[in-house]
Amino acid sequence: MKESVFSALALYVQSVFRGAWSIAGSCKTALPYLIRWGDLKKEVTEGYPDPISSKTADDLPTRSRGLLFNDIDRCTGCRDCEVACPSRCIRVESEPGSDPAKIWVSTFDIDFSRCIFCGLCVEACHPGSLVHTKQYEGAAYAVPDLVASFGRGQITDEHRNKWAMMRKLGESDGVAP
Amino acid sequence: MMTSENSWIVAWSNALGFPEGLPQWLYAVGALISVFVFVVVPSGGLMSYLERKLAADLQARVGPNRTGPAGLLQPIADLFKLLQKESRVDWSWKENLWLSVHTMALYSTLAVLPLGSMAVLVNTEMSVFLPFWSALVLALGTMLLGLSQNSVPGWFGGIRVAAQTLAGSFPALISLLCTGVRSGSFRWSALAESQGFSPWEWTVFANPFQMVAFSVFVMSGLVLLAIPPLDGGLSMSDIHGGVSSHLYGRRLSLFQFGRFYGFFFWSVITVVLFLGAWDLPAQVTVSLKAGGANQVLALLELIWLLLKTFGLMLLIVWVAKVNSRSRVDQITDFTWKVLSPFSLFALVGASLWAGWRAI
Repeated sequence: MKESVFSALALYVQSVFRGAWSIAGSCKTALPYLIRWGDLKKEVTEGYPDPISSKTADDLPTRSRGLLFNDIDRCTGCRDCEVACPSRCIRVESEPGSDPAKIWVSTFDIDFSRCIFCGLCVEACHPGSLVHTKQYEGAAYAVPDLVASFGRGQITDEHRNKWAMMRKLGESDGVAP
Repeated sequence: MMTSENSWIVAWSNALGFPEGLPQWLYAVGALISVFVFVVVPSGGLMSYLERKLAADLQARVGPNRTGPAGLLQPIADLFKLLQKESRVDWSWKENLWLSVHTMALYSTLAVLPLGSMAVLVNTEMSVFLPFWSALVLALGTMLLGLSQNSVPGWFGGIRVAAQTLAGSFPALISLLCTGVRSGSFRWSALAESQGFSPWEWTVFANPFQMVAFSVFVMSGLVLLAIPPLDGGLSMSDIHGGVSSHLYGRRLSLFQFGRFYGFFFWSVITVVLFLGAWDLPAQVTVSLKAGGANQVLALLELIWLLLKTFGLMLLIVWVAKVNSRSRVDQITDFTWKVLSPFSLFALVGASLWAGWRAI
């Protein structure tokens, strides 16, 4: 079918007005944000570090993966986390404690400069001592400061003497079996 | 150029502490510099802040809020940051040359910028057209700046800017003629006198054809000077800012401020042509003139003109921020196939309307 001049002109005018209508539509969509109308008044972007939304770390989702924390009193030094870590940022050293059944976790270092916060170590942790906190502010001025140490430190003669004394008195040393 | 109409310069220069009896050209230079320092630069700072805040509000973001109360000092902080930056090592003299040509072409329009009934430096039958020559030289400078850069974004950006300017200048000129048809002259003063304070006395609402001419004029100005949303020639997404992709530090701030100035002067011209210029209510003008308070009148006119200009600019920013960026071929296509026919339609309609009224 041959198009007449008038129908072509009508189509042209129609497309121009359709374009103008579309532009006006997007302007109208954004208007509630501008005049702060209804639910749309709230900024989607959280102002950080300004407390625009008054949200704190505790307001984060329950399963959010913040900086890691290891409860050394419950840690058995089994090294499952070290094995599970894909970025090899966990370093565990343990040795026999006050009696051979107890493990003294002398070193438990997490290098947050390498950690990717994947959560595999937390899943692997059998005694449940390694957890993600909701804390996310871990900035430091030097890379070595990004290493978090949870270990009890190397066993020294002082420790051994103390344990011998406690064994004599029948007291517990507080280390998990 | 210097007639009794320019006595405002002498009055203002005396008010600012200039001695009397200096040659006229010195007064003109002083006037241009003071217009730039006291009107254009503060407007630039204010508009860059308002634009960022408005864009943040429209896009549900926070916007600048660190420097000063509510981020008010952000433009100044930006300026100092850009001034600190080192320039590129492989900067060539050609780029300096074309950046200078670009900048000079741009700021030569200061001489024809109408800022009030007593603040019109060049008021001839050709004044309205002078910004166009500047815009064309500006486009030439931008194109050669891009071509002299040793980079693909520069080449593409330069050619795109030239294409956009060629496309945009035709509908802009034609729709400009519509205002002359209504006021019977292209003097800034005659254009302002043919309008009034209230919106129904403005050229834009005089008849439907003037409304079309106004829309075409605004959009073709955006095309002509490559201002968002029609800034395909300096697009960030596909050619990394085009000509500005190789500009750093001071030169970038010069270029960006030039882009703001282009937007500003186009909006001022649009307000003078279509949106009632600087016209205050007639009784206010008459009583202030009778009281001899010419400087107060000039200041009020300037404020009213700038308020309307900022309103228009923010309206354009609103459209630019909520719509997707247009491609350069879409822009030139739209300009040739839509803006140009509509501008001709508006000119014919406005002429017939004016002829009908004359009968």
